[in-house]
Amino acid sequence: MNRARVEVVVRHLIRNPVTVVAGLVVLAAVVIAAAVPWLALPDPEAMDFVPYSPPSAEHWFGTDNYGRDLFSRILWGTRVALVVAIGSSALSTLLGIVLGSLSGYHGGLSDAIMSRTFDVFLLIPTFFLVLLIVALFGASLGLTMVAIAMTTWPRSARIMRSQVLTLKTRTYVQAALAAGASAPQVLMRHVVPNGLAPIVTDGTILMGLAILTEAGLSFLGLGDQNTVSWGRMIFEGQRHLRLAPWMSIFPGLSMLLLVGALNLLGDGLNHALNPQLRTRGGAPRHVPPVPPPADEPTVEDPAAPMLDVRGLRLVYRIGRREIRAVDGVSFVLPRGGSLGIVGESGCGKSSLGAALLQVIPANAELTAGEVRFGGRAILLGGRPVAERGRRPRIRDLRWARFSIIFQSAMNALNPVFTVRRQLVSAYRRHRPDATPEAAAARVFEVFDLIGIPRQRIDSYPHELSGGMRQRVMIALALLLEPDMVIADEPTTALDVLIQDQILGEIDALRRRLGVTLILISHDMGTVAETCDRVAVMYAGQIVEIAPTATIFERPAHPYTRALIGALPSLTGARRALASLPGEPFVAAGDVAGCRFAPRCGHATDLCRATTPPSVAVAPDHASLCHFADAMVAAPLPEATA
Amino acid sequence: MRLRRYVLFRVLQLVPVALVVIVLNFLLIHLAPGDVAILLAGEDADPTYMASVRAAYGLDLPFHEQLLRYLGQVLTGDLGLSYRSRQPVMDELMARVPATLMLVGTALVIAVTVGVLVGTLIARRPGSAVDSVVSVLSISLFSIPVFWLGLMLILWFAVHLRWLPSSGMGSVGGPREGMAMVMDVARHMILPAVTLATVWVGQYVRLARTSVSEVLAENYIVTARAVGYGEGTVLLSHALRNALLPVVTVLGLQIGLALTGAVLTETVFSWPGLGRLIYEAILARDTPIIMGAFIIMSFTVALASLATDLLYAALDPRVSL
Repeated sequence: MNRARVEVVVRHLIRNPVTVVAGLVVLAAVVIAAAVPWLALPDPEAMDFVPYSPPSAEHWFGTDNYGRDLFSRILWGTRVALVVAIGSSALSTLLGIVLGSLSGYHGGLSDAIMSRTFDVFLLIPTFFLVLLIVALFGASLGLTMVAIAMTTWPRSARIMRSQVLTLKTRTYVQAALAAGASAPQVLMRHVVPNGLAPIVTDGTILMGLAILTEAGLSFLGLGDQNTVSWGRMIFEGQRHLRLAPWMSIFPGLSMLLLVGALNLLGDGLNHALNPQLRTRGGAPRHVPPVPPPADEPTVEDPAAPMLDVRGLRLVYRIGRREIRAVDGVSFVLPRGGSLGIVGESGCGKSSLGAALLQVIPANAELTAGEVRFGGRAILLGGRPVAERGRRPRIRDLRWARFSIIFQSAMNALNPVFTVRRQLVSAYRRHRPDATPEAAAARVFEVFDLIGIPRQRIDSYPHELSGGMRQRVMIALALLLEPDMVIADEPTTALDVLIQDQILGEIDALRRRLGVTLILISHDMGTVAETCDRVAVMYAGQIVEIAPTATIFERPAHPYTRALIGALPSLTGARRALASLPGEPFVAAGDVAGCRFAPRCGHATDLCRATTPPSVAVAPDHASLCHFADAMVAAPLPEATA
Repeated sequence: MRLRRYVLFRVLQLVPVALVVIVLNFLLIHLAPGDVAILLAGEDADPTYMASVRAAYGLDLPFHEQLLRYLGQVLTGDLGLSYRSRQPVMDELMARVPATLMLVGTALVIAVTVGVLVGTLIARRPGSAVDSVVSVLSISLFSIPVFWLGLMLILWFAVHLRWLPSSGMGSVGGPREGMAMVMDVARHMILPAVTLATVWVGQYVRLARTSVSEVLAENYIVTARAVGYGEGTVLLSHALRNALLPVVTVLGLQIGLALTGAVLTETVFSWPGLGRLIYEAILARDTPIIMGAFIIMSFTVALASLATDLLYAALDPRVSL
């Protein structure tokens, strides 16, 4: 880990109050363990006091059956607990790091044998081995620690092995080896530090486990007789449970506190190292729907455009950051029309698709915008429109009227169900009266239409080829004869031949069935073939929208020009892609000026200072650029190369 | 056919585990201070019994022949005799299995059911205040020393409130048949089962929470929502089966820890299971029982891992047998 990464992790750690408290508890335990001989405490073994005294001002935790001061004994017990914790986890981790590194570094047969050995040792139940060892060899703290280490080392060995396996192919490790460093040196300097973080995390949890194991042994009477351990105190306390419950209560509480703190610390470390653990997934938040507007049609208007979107905004909340993935998008899509939405990954095009269908992740929120489907409002002010009462209108539209084709390579189909189960239940979800047989018949109909062999219905998604899986996704989207389909990167991750086939099929189906289509893609070429209009998206906004031919012939935005430049030509020699320097812009916080300006070759001070207006360069052609008119007029240097 | 081959293959993989466990056992007893015969027969055993133990284990033979003989013995199910009862260790252990199985099974069912339920509900709002509180609470639960929790529950429910019995599996002179006996045993099982389940439940809450929220971030869940399924259906029928996969894995891997908890809990509540037997063996220095328990527990853990793999394969069609 480099310094910057360490800083990020530390910042995450100290921001979590639970982790901080847990850390302080562990720290306090360490201080107590170190300082206990110098504290003015009664001798923990001295039987100087009245036996069975309940907790009092003099004896905070009372005294035991021999008249020993429990508070003193518990503080001394911290020592034993920490020695066991640190001793066993250090031993275990050291063993694990050495054996894991060797196994991963050498690879081949020795790796195979060693990782099988890890597995075997992981299966040996720690406690019972410790029990046996202690029963045979006599109770001693040292043996207990060795026995704990013996059954837990494969945990860190496994982590280390996989770290070494991934790291040894990295360039800097290769470079160090090429420069003549010896293998152990390279392992120590470059590989071990990188694997350390997860091992430290596991180590804190191991410490808790070690304390509990030692306590369990002591409770069975197999504890080291020469030490003051919390487990042994509870062992002694249970015989006097009725008479002196404090003899059991306080040592147990101390143990709970320390083990809990260690586990919470481990958990905090884990989350600081993998911050995405905490907030991934979740169910979408419920947004109360708004009543339908009184002055608008309650039924669909066949003359109205299929989709009318105005000022749609979607923000993601990541920690305290707000990212405006869709930032004021408006367009109108006529019935039977097809619109291509193009942009780099991260420009918000997929978020736009999800927003239209109102299936957004839990950490996203629609903050503004109106969407009308067939003239009927389904979203107003960023909130769903209810039909009567509380049921959002979109619910009746989803899939039956308005469906989406996801990129199937990205697990868009549930891996644990067969195609039949997924398609039949989707059909019956919207046609509750249909029998499973009728639903399957409809599935076959769509299969025939798309060219999926019927026997594929009983396959699991992973049993299908990429192209076939994508076709199943298309079949799912067309199952209920929707009026409108969004295809979100339907051909990404497929090989070129299949890409063309699938696109051709989507295009043919669209024309045959009269479906209105939105095709989302990062590739200008893809939308050029299929769509009659193209919208180019950048940083959450549509920066240019025009009929397809216009956008290729007279692009009015420098970003569009860059995208077209990035289009490989089929005629001339394959040109070097006009790659864009710089990172895509992310809209967070206040934005002044043009979002594309930092990467734009034509940017002026005006661009950097003032947000560009939407310029209508033609009745059907708008561009978000100060110099749109000049752009249209400028010749395309490489357009027909 | 493929299933049978897979099972066979996995059973073969258990062979090294068995060998390591048995050899470890053998080495430990020979490394231990003192005469092996005394360890196995007890310090005050009569000479004839001592001689029979020597003969049975071949203690006068060369080391490697002893090992082979021991391997053969263990693999045929002969774990020697308990020197307290002079009964076969295997029989003694097996007689205690049902009680332990009942207790561990009940506690596991409670822990997994409650844990998965709570974890799933929490997973709907990752990062929320409730999520953080439940997360800290779950970690605290599995940080409790199980035997201490048992004592505390006895203190409160048996000593203070006098609601429930504190030890044993049935009342002295209580009913011995029919529903009355079942109820009596159930009453005795409440405290130990709750003790174990309390310590275990946190683990499953956290697992289910992580696993369900990961699955909810998957694209097929977005598909399910887009198709128009209600959130309840999405959670229960589209997400849960995927989310249960890691729960199953951990369930299998944790059997060793679960048995540890059972031994300690049985000791606290005088529950007449394996744990209690082991405790008694420790008090009486009955080495053959402790060795036998180690072997049986290790085999159980290994078999549990096998069962887990099979269950996983049944749940996840992507695992090809």
